[in-house]
Amino acid sequence: MDKNDHATIQAVLSGDKEAYGALVAHHSRSVFRVAYRITGNEADADEVVQDAFMRGYRKLESFESRSNFGTWIYRIAVRCALDKVSRRGNASNRASTGTETESEAVQVPDRAPDPEALLLSGEIGAFRESAMHSLTPLERAAFTLRHMEDCSMEEIAAALEIAPNAAKQAIYRAIHKLRHRLALLKVRT
Amino acid sequence: MNHLSQEELIELYLSEGGPEAARHLDACTECAREYEALQADLTDLKAVEPPARPENYGEQVWNSIAGQLPAYADRRRPSFRQIWFRQPLWIGLSVAAACALLVAAAFYAGRLWEHRNPPPAVVSHPAPSVQQRVVVVVLSDHLDRSERLLVQLKHADADDTQLATPLRDEARSLLVANRKCRQEAENAGDPALTNVLDHLNQLLNGLANQPGGLNADAIARLQAQMNQDGLLFEVRVLRSRIPKHQAEANLHLKGGIA
Repeated sequence: MDKNDHATIQAVLSGDKEAYGALVAHHSRSVFRVAYRITGNEADADEVVQDAFMRGYRKLESFESRSNFGTWIYRIAVRCALDKVSRRGNASNRASTGTETESEAVQVPDRAPDPEALLLSGEIGAFRESAMHSLTPLERAAFTLRHMEDCSMEEIAAALEIAPNAAKQAIYRAIHKLRHRLALLKVRT
Repeated sequence: MNHLSQEELIELYLSEGGPEAARHLDACTECAREYEALQADLTDLKAVEPPARPENYGEQVWNSIAGQLPAYADRRRPSFRQIWFRQPLWIGLSVAAACALLVAAAFYAGRLWEHRNPPPAVVSHPAPSVQQRVVVVVLSDHLDRSERLLVQLKHADADDTQLATPLRDEARSLLVANRKCRQEAENAGDPALTNVLDHLNQLLNGLANQPGGLNADAIARLQAQMNQDGLLFEVRVLRSRIPKHQAEANLHLKGGIA
């Protein structure tokens, strides 16, 4: 797989632009997955995928042959997603990080499969999303990479271009915030 | 019993916790319950899966960006010549005009600077090494001739009247050079040389200006004076110093000695 990627990269650098299409086809799904998890938005994730592959193409000359293209484009995608979330601003975050309202504090039985809870599952999903949006872009990205993408601290630090300890602290803060937000979903019996 | 803090529970969840915390978790029901709640919360978040993409998603992405990406062959850096000749004529002319203006400004600034800061007047001094060399050469020549004269005087037959005139003439000729050399020796602060030249001066004066002519008695008296002073020996010693002086002088000329 890597050998194919490297051969394709050489072809692209030699002028065969269309060869890059094969790399895009091969890695676009994994890039979309991480982009979606960081941005939390399908349209944004699609844009991030395009941005990441375009940025990757332009930087292809600096790609080191001993590296893995999948890892390399993945990191670029993380940076693009982080940029996207930062640019998008904290408007939506601010809206969801204000004082908790009664409407947000949906009261449902904990893990109860009854029809009423099922009807509210859509709202619960939205609330989870809003909980994720309460995180800063860095916290969200660090938490996503660790919790959902199973990346190591070193990989997260490298992808986010921060120190491993800073990555760790960002994840801790993210978990604290998320648990605080999710606590509102618990049934107050 | 100290229960695990939230940070310690999170560390355990992230597989960053130490063995002590893990042992406590096994033993403590309360902490185990807290840990289970943490796991449940985070598992809920993990359950959110990204929406599915179509089968040809990669192709779609490529089609959307391909038009914006130039081929690498076209992206190779053009040479300076290519860049230069691709520019419109007015850019070239502008660059040329700017260069000409810059040269003119530099020239004017140089003139202005020169006018405001005239170069220091050059005072020509003969190089000390050259002067020294001339003195040494003159002295060497003078001592050579003096030595020959003294040798002649030493071996002169006092009764040989034919010898008197050449001795007198040579002595007169040497007197001028001797005075000059003595003056230079005095200026140079060389008391040994000055002293020898003083003695030589007395002898040359006796030879050149002997009242009543240079007769046998005068020659004999001057021979005695020369021997008494050891003048010939002293002149020879001085001459032996000359080559060294001359070598140093030559080095001065070449700038070899500071």
